[in-house]
Amino acid sequence: MNLRKLRHYRTNLLIFLALVGPGIITANVDNDAGGIYTYSVAGARYGYSLLWTLIPITVALIVIQEMVARMGVVTGKGLADLIREEYGFRMTFFVMILLLLANLGNTVADFAGLASGMSVLGVSRYFVVPLSALIVWGLVVKGTYRIVEKVFLVACVFYLAYPVSAFLSRPDWTESMVQLIKPNFHFESGYIFLLIGMVGTTITPWMQFYLQSAVVDKGLKIKDYMHSRWDVIVGCVITDVVAFFIIVACAATIFVGGHKDIRDAADAALALGPLAGKAATIVFAFGLCNASLFSASIIPLSTAYCVCEGLGVESGLNKRFHEAPAFYWLYTALIVIAALIVIVLREELQIPLILLSQVANGLLLPFVLIFMLRLINRADLMGVYRNSRLFNAIAWTTSIIMIVLTGVWLGSMLFPGHTPL
Amino acid sequence: MIYFTELQHTDAYDVNGEYLGRLQDMCVDPAHNSLLVASYLVRTPDKRTLCITHDQMQSISIRQIQAAVPAAQIRCYAPDEGLLHLHNEVLDQQIIDVNHRKVVRVNDVDLDIQPRNGHTELRVLAVNVGLAAAVRRLLQGLMAKHSLRSFSRLFPSSTIPWEFVNLIESDPARRVKLRISYDRVARLHPADIADILEELSHDEQRVIIESLDEETAAQALSEIPTHMQAALLESFTRDKAADIVEEMAPDEAADVLQEMSPETSAELLAGMEKEEAKDVRELLGFEERTAGALMTTDFIMVGDQATVEGAIAALKHYEGPVESIHSIYLVDMQGNLTGAVPIGRILLAESSTPLKELAVDLLVSVESQADQKRVVDLFQKYNLLSLPVVDDKNHLLGVVTVDDVLEIALNRE
Repeated sequence: MNLRKLRHYRTNLLIFLALVGPGIITANVDNDAGGIYTYSVAGARYGYSLLWTLIPITVALIVIQEMVARMGVVTGKGLADLIREEYGFRMTFFVMILLLLANLGNTVADFAGLASGMSVLGVSRYFVVPLSALIVWGLVVKGTYRIVEKVFLVACVFYLAYPVSAFLSRPDWTESMVQLIKPNFHFESGYIFLLIGMVGTTITPWMQFYLQSAVVDKGLKIKDYMHSRWDVIVGCVITDVVAFFIIVACAATIFVGGHKDIRDAADAALALGPLAGKAATIVFAFGLCNASLFSASIIPLSTAYCVCEGLGVESGLNKRFHEAPAFYWLYTALIVIAALIVIVLREELQIPLILLSQVANGLLLPFVLIFMLRLINRADLMGVYRNSRLFNAIAWTTSIIMIVLTGVWLGSMLFPGHTPL
Repeated sequence: MIYFTELQHTDAYDVNGEYLGRLQDMCVDPAHNSLLVASYLVRTPDKRTLCITHDQMQSISIRQIQAAVPAAQIRCYAPDEGLLHLHNEVLDQQIIDVNHRKVVRVNDVDLDIQPRNGHTELRVLAVNVGLAAAVRRLLQGLMAKHSLRSFSRLFPSSTIPWEFVNLIESDPARRVKLRISYDRVARLHPADIADILEELSHDEQRVIIESLDEETAAQALSEIPTHMQAALLESFTRDKAADIVEEMAPDEAADVLQEMSPETSAELLAGMEKEEAKDVRELLGFEERTAGALMTTDFIMVGDQATVEGAIAALKHYEGPVESIHSIYLVDMQGNLTGAVPIGRILLAESSTPLKELAVDLLVSVESQADQKRVVDLFQKYNLLSLPVVDDKNHLLGVVTVDDVLEIALNRE
């Protein structure tokens, strides 16, 4: 044993997360407050009829995440590093600014989700948001390995809140299973918009950066790759299984009950009450708080890492503040600004910001997907682990569909002629 | 002085003022002169790449570059593994800064313009890793080059002299051609090498470790997270990996072997010297979180009838790390622990003094099955630097040293 290693064990949250299984952690962070809201709306407005989209979304998610994990294993470098080395400083800077904006929005949404979830449980946002910002910051910067380990394992288990609330809602399981495998498309702008929203909230740019770095941090080698591939597949499936239960819970109660408009995910929790009982409301709200807090502890950290690495600035929790000031400032600023926005700004004023971050997300995704596809086909980088022709066909098709959907989404958001969400 | 990225994409002309194309890259030929820019690659409008050699270059400025010969005399570029390409292989890549003992990413390359017998040469001065270079690159093309220069001076600049730059190249043949060696890196403190290793990708780590001698490699490896150690060791040949593990402290070696698959770990043990392998095997047998799992088998013991002279002789033959010799342990004929003598007392005593007379009054030891917590408590209570570990018959098995305990104590907080 050796004293120096201590620094890592004490503080390196990313290493711990990498050891659990990068795919599974990514999956859990993916079901953040924004995701839960979108799935809730899908269930509340359209009942079980959007469930079928989960299967193609899962396939697309697996195709994309598998490539990222493969790049991480083969090159041993993060996506930001590869983009920097291949596309130069300016492009990296542009991508990182978009990532920063998108993830600031995600963090705001998470703190907002936490605040509204807690208000259902009867706790004031003025109390819970500053406190949780402090906890998140402290856990990562000052937390010891053991504490972080326990907290995160517990948080992962709490995703079971959604299956529980789905069961409490006593849904029509046969119907939901049929709808899961039976595509039924409505040519209605609200339906299409929501469908795209589901794709957009599930397949996001940040997770490509996060997953690849996590795979690299884990120090996976090519021979472990099969294991890693399973981790990714299981993770993608978990993401959408959780989504399934959220949609089912809302479909069985809010949709069936007839009052279909919910403003945020906490609204969904409240709306469960009359039909599924108070327990369902509490479990759902609890799941929301848990997911929001979980994402809020990982997204700012992974953003700070990613931006600093891409721009070539010192980063890492094993460095002191004065050794890596940009990294710590960025990390702290993301949390503080996001928390302040949720505490200080009225909800109407938060909307432009969330919109901006979604636009950033939408602009970023095509870049990330195209960069990924070009990088993964480079012989000097990937050798025999390049995409096969078949895989390329699948991956390009998926990416083009994603890019088109995102384009439509962005278009209707910036020029709202359609019914908004 | 001029920056590489300022020159990139400038227009190139031949001696008659005929347009050739845009400057794309510059090459250094380390086999001949590692400082001189040996050739300039120009991309023509019809997508060919021309190679203007340094003696064909008449003038260079941030507005244009001009060759000293007509276009017909400029040959086309043929890819050459022996050339180092500044754009492709230096700019935006990670390099090792041996002076500051860290890995940094290159934002720009600083060049020096020198007139020489009617033509112009560029020499590589340094790589630029500072904020000023980042700002310059971000705004290039959006501002006039001169005003951008003065604007970027408002930001802090940081450069690494070219001779201290270690490029990271994982292809050994290429490394020979480019005259890259990691001698300077190998001379750093193992803890600094470990810091550098952590910033690099798996292949790059392997390259650095391969260039170290086994002892340094073992020390540097011991300082990076265990899962990374295991991944690296598994990428070497069994013999090489066994040689490195052999040089590690037995407790470190046991940690990393535990991290590997049982087959690999058994293979490595089989490849090690009998004596070292035996020590490590013993440690592998102990349950986690016990004193046995915490101890090292690198320690010095002598018979309890020995004198200071005997202790000094034992010290001279000792091969393990010096951290684990705070005390010398005394055992009787059956191997039972009978005493501990702090090394300081031995150094101050006459050489004929029996060690028994120097032994500490209160001998504290712990059983190998005892919980780590008990170990920490004993260190705390008696202010120990090291603690002997015994089996249930009081046979001396190993020693726990204070650094290992500190780790647990801090983790327990």
